[in-house]
Amino acid sequence: MAIKYTAKVIEHFKSPHNIGVIENADACATEGSPACGDEITVYLKIDKATDRIEDVKFQSYGCASNIATGSIITDLAKGKTIDEAEAITWKQAADELGGLPPVKMHCSVLAVDGLRSAIRKYKKEVKGIDYDSTLDVKTVTEELKHVLWPPVGVDIITLKMVKYIGIDQGAVSVEVSIGSDDKFLDPTIDEIVEHVSKIKGVKSVSVENV
Amino acid sequence: MIYLDNFRSTMVAPEVWEAMRTAAIDKYAVPAAFTQCGTGAAELIERAQNRVAAAIGASQNEVVFTGSGTEAINIALLGSAQAQVIDKPDIVTSEIEYPATLAVYRALEKEGYKAHYVKVDGEGKYDLDQLSSVLNEHTAMVSLMGVNHMIGTIEPLAEAGAIIAEASQRVGRRIPYHVDFASALQTQRLNVDAVKADLVSFSSNKIHGPKGVGALYVRKGTKIHPITFGSESYSPLVPGTPNTMGIAGFDKAVELLYATFDQDVEHMRSLMNRLAAGIRERIPHILLNGPDGVGRAASHLCYSFLFIEGEAIMMFLDMDEIVVDTGSACAAATLKPNYILMAIGRNHEQAHGSIRFTLSRYNTEADVDTALAKLVAIVERLRAQSTIRPPAQ
Repeated sequence: MAIKYTAKVIEHFKSPHNIGVIENADACATEGSPACGDEITVYLKIDKATDRIEDVKFQSYGCASNIATGSIITDLAKGKTIDEAEAITWKQAADELGGLPPVKMHCSVLAVDGLRSAIRKYKKEVKGIDYDSTLDVKTVTEELKHVLWPPVGVDIITLKMVKYIGIDQGAVSVEVSIGSDDKFLDPTIDEIVEHVSKIKGVKSVSVENV
Repeated sequence: MIYLDNFRSTMVAPEVWEAMRTAAIDKYAVPAAFTQCGTGAAELIERAQNRVAAAIGASQNEVVFTGSGTEAINIALLGSAQAQVIDKPDIVTSEIEYPATLAVYRALEKEGYKAHYVKVDGEGKYDLDQLSSVLNEHTAMVSLMGVNHMIGTIEPLAEAGAIIAEASQRVGRRIPYHVDFASALQTQRLNVDAVKADLVSFSSNKIHGPKGVGALYVRKGTKIHPITFGSESYSPLVPGTPNTMGIAGFDKAVELLYATFDQDVEHMRSLMNRLAAGIRERIPHILLNGPDGVGRAASHLCYSFLFIEGEAIMMFLDMDEIVVDTGSACAAATLKPNYILMAIGRNHEQAHGSIRFTLSRYNTEADVDTALAKLVAIVERLRAQSTIRPPAQ
């Protein structure tokens, strides 16, 4: 099957909106990692009186869809209040681009994660709203909703691929059910580890395929 | 379009297309004995067998045509495995083989074969000491390749062949040695006796022939079973009606390949040196993947451009109608970084930034210069917008 980017993805990849750095940004956050193949940094300039995003910029280490999703979420966020921007979903971002191939949906998740991280940093540092959640099964489950199963672009919780989440003094163990020779097994396990490791209080993550 | 992805597939040469057209119109009968049209088609296939056989120092009846290079590999490896009766059989290959070889080995592992994957050095060259150490009375076969498709390494086939021959003597039976020569055919000459190969697979579409045709050399006396079954009138090993039109195209492609082989290889080497020199001179923070100079195929170049990602480079070049390939996980159907780059010691980030340029005899200096100019601008642009930066000088 031919996997193609939409014309809108190509347009945003070719001429990304809001690319660059905001000096003296009110908040800035990086999500992803070069080892995983993509990373995004989002910078925010916020009107403190109205909590409205005056300016937003991003930088990207990643593929065409990473750059395009960075471009679209910054477009979507600009001019919105921080609460409105925080509510933008990765599905919305992908839809704005006319869709993404399922295998590339995780780029949209990463872009939205970058934006939300920057907003939450601002909320914590400037507004004193603490987003540090406790390490429990619910928090891990919520985080695993950001891990998509590449063939269909749907998260592994919705697909009921996560069979068990255990937490013992900061050590998180996750059991998933994926075919042992499935080509997406290794990248999915890597992504689970990357996401769960971000949760405050996590000391180690082990993933077992059952 | 500037096409620099010739290790994936090549343009069909105009002369090849003409030979295929003629065969389709004039030689459409099934090869057979006695009748004019049947023998006409049979002679066409024999001519092609002779052409391939003469090029590699073999006999006409040691060459069969297959439906692809992948099919040739499958017949060689599965057919060879099935033909042998060995207690607790071992099978040997390397960790950087073509996906078809690795897929067959994994399938055989599931059937109980024990597979050894020979390691490679930082330039992708086989560890021959390790190869030697794993060969024993349980070894059912060895499969190696002439040129690595991702990093261009010319592998020491003859040295490996000598090691396998020595081990065969030691164990008192011939250990079949399969060589995947698909990626090597464009730039390397082969003599099956010098390399001591028993089975060699080829692909037509890597040398300006059509897709859907491959060839397999089977040394006389090699034990091999068919893996598909049907009419054996053409070949018991590849049953069914042969692809006469495709074989005619492959035949013409081989004829053209050797008509100007040495000058074409020199032409491609000179272009590749020009491209490599331009990249080294104009783009900082790069890593060459595979050997430098004569250790790599003349038409092959693979660089990692650090701090940026390969699919983005490839897509930008594609928008300028320049076609290359990348080993980035982002461009892979599996989302994994290229296994060959990882095997030579690259980390994920270095693999993500890799771009492979593979030339053909049809490329020109202008192609290379245009591609280089675009590449320089693309790398600068992507680096300017990347989250990661070169360390401060």
